[in-house]
Amino acid sequence: MSICEVVVNYEKLLFYTIFIQRPLMSFKVIKSSFLHTIQDYGRINHGEHGISQSGAMDEHAYCWSNYLLANHSNDAVIEITFGGLVLESQINTFVALTGAELDFKINDKPVQMWLGVQIHKGDILSLDNLKSGIRSYLAVKGGFDTPVLFDSRSVNLREHIGTELIAGDVIPCKKYSEIAYRIMPKKYIPNYKQDIVLRLLPTYQFNDFDIKQRDLFFKQDYSITNISDRIGCRLNGTPIMSKKKQMISEGISYGSVEISTDGLPIILLKDAPSIGGYPKIGTVFTLDLAKLAQRQTNAKLRFELIDIPQAQKKRKKFNIFFKINT
Amino acid sequence: MHNIVAAGENTILIYFGTEIDNVLPEKIGQFVEQLKSTLGNIIINIIPSYTSIHISYDLNKIAHQAFVDKIKVILNQQDNNIFVIKSKTIYIPVYYDNEVGLDLNRLLLEKNIDIQTFVKLHTAQEYLVYAIGFSPAFAYLAEVDVRIQITRLSTPRIKIPAGSVGIAQNQTAVYPIDSSGGWNIIGRTPLNLSLNKPGNIDKFHVGDKVKFYAIMRNEYLRSGGKL
Repeated sequence: MSICEVVVNYEKLLFYTIFIQRPLMSFKVIKSSFLHTIQDYGRINHGEHGISQSGAMDEHAYCWSNYLLANHSNDAVIEITFGGLVLESQINTFVALTGAELDFKINDKPVQMWLGVQIHKGDILSLDNLKSGIRSYLAVKGGFDTPVLFDSRSVNLREHIGTELIAGDVIPCKKYSEIAYRIMPKKYIPNYKQDIVLRLLPTYQFNDFDIKQRDLFFKQDYSITNISDRIGCRLNGTPIMSKKKQMISEGISYGSVEISTDGLPIILLKDAPSIGGYPKIGTVFTLDLAKLAQRQTNAKLRFELIDIPQAQKKRKKFNIFFKINT
Repeated sequence: MHNIVAAGENTILIYFGTEIDNVLPEKIGQFVEQLKSTLGNIIINIIPSYTSIHISYDLNKIAHQAFVDKIKVILNQQDNNIFVIKSKTIYIPVYYDNEVGLDLNRLLLEKNIDIQTFVKLHTAQEYLVYAIGFSPAFAYLAEVDVRIQITRLSTPRIKIPAGSVGIAQNQTAVYPIDSSGGWNIIGRTPLNLSLNKPGNIDKFHVGDKVKFYAIMRNEYLRSGGKL
């Protein structure tokens, strides 16, 4: 056995600890930029402890990346924000890149996205020149093997759980036993430049907004502001009024649409705090949040209603296809 | 009666009241335990708060209305039952001094009291955990004695050191990790409440009680407290 990595930084120590395996199963970060983090399906069962859901922002692209390599639906991948990542493989394995469109190259040769690709020890993987979307997902056969913290490998910077990837980091990955990968029909590759409609469930304080305000909410085009990150997405548009300005803090769902004191919506996302005290007009259907995760600043969107049985039917189909067992 | 509303495609909220009330945390804490033991196989996540419980369930296993019906049955049972109170009391040492209590001087001046009286008032109370959130293991505690209540800062601080004890209106809390925040800082605990110590995740539950006690500078430092 060989000890391959001992990291000194104390938050790193918590996250990567000491990785022992033979042969060396890992990727090395050669170049990093804006924000690249390890994410899996999320830390979905710790709301009681004040911990965010975390996990991949675009569940659609994330699930396909694991699917293409016949991985488990909860395997950890790298979430790459705005491209700009170079890795060196220390092993022979398979990878798949999905999500935001960019130039994906192995040893300077262009490689297709949304496809399982064989790579070898010493190969240089570069992800650059973002063309559409925001977040790309790089899955490796068997999944990345950073330590599990509170039942998940997902990094949450707001909560000081894990750290972002920087040049020099060594990211361990699992050994795989069988060579199996899958292909997907091209028609499932989304166009991230299209305007989107977010289907909204009438939840929380929906009935506390009067008809006139709700009409205004559903009839207008909102635009995405640059105050948008893994915590939430702030929209710009015509303000709406709510009867309550602030309320007793209560549990926040992924996709809750808060109306802040200025009357504008904030859609709460994966790294949002577990409780909050602004009135909420509804909750965005989770599969539409995957689309939102790929829309850049100034993109237009609007809302329309969906009921719970319809949303459940669609989500159930997705869960069954990708074998998501919560 | 309990009001139940949807909070997402696989999430509901149960309201146990419309106002913050000191009988609710224990009730809510107990109901959380009951949910785990009776519906643990279909429930994914539970977020208790001041007056409500937010519950996510596995929609692959059960549909919305069927889940709500199950919850109603358990709520009715609870109304007829007397439960054994399982809440615990957590003791937290605090070094109350200007050295670490960034807002202590201002608070003493504003309230026109001396530090001894202040410490007596802050440590006398047995606080209830009303909610956990904002950051991991951050427990909202109430109720602070009216004589030392003070509104939060108009501009939040960028960085409050881990272990800082704060007051905002009728609530008090310990910051488990370095965070930004607008509470008035009155002292600091040497205890490590951050998740770097994984057991801390389960330190506080809604319905638990918390008592602060004062320690001197040398004890604070001996216990690992930082300045």
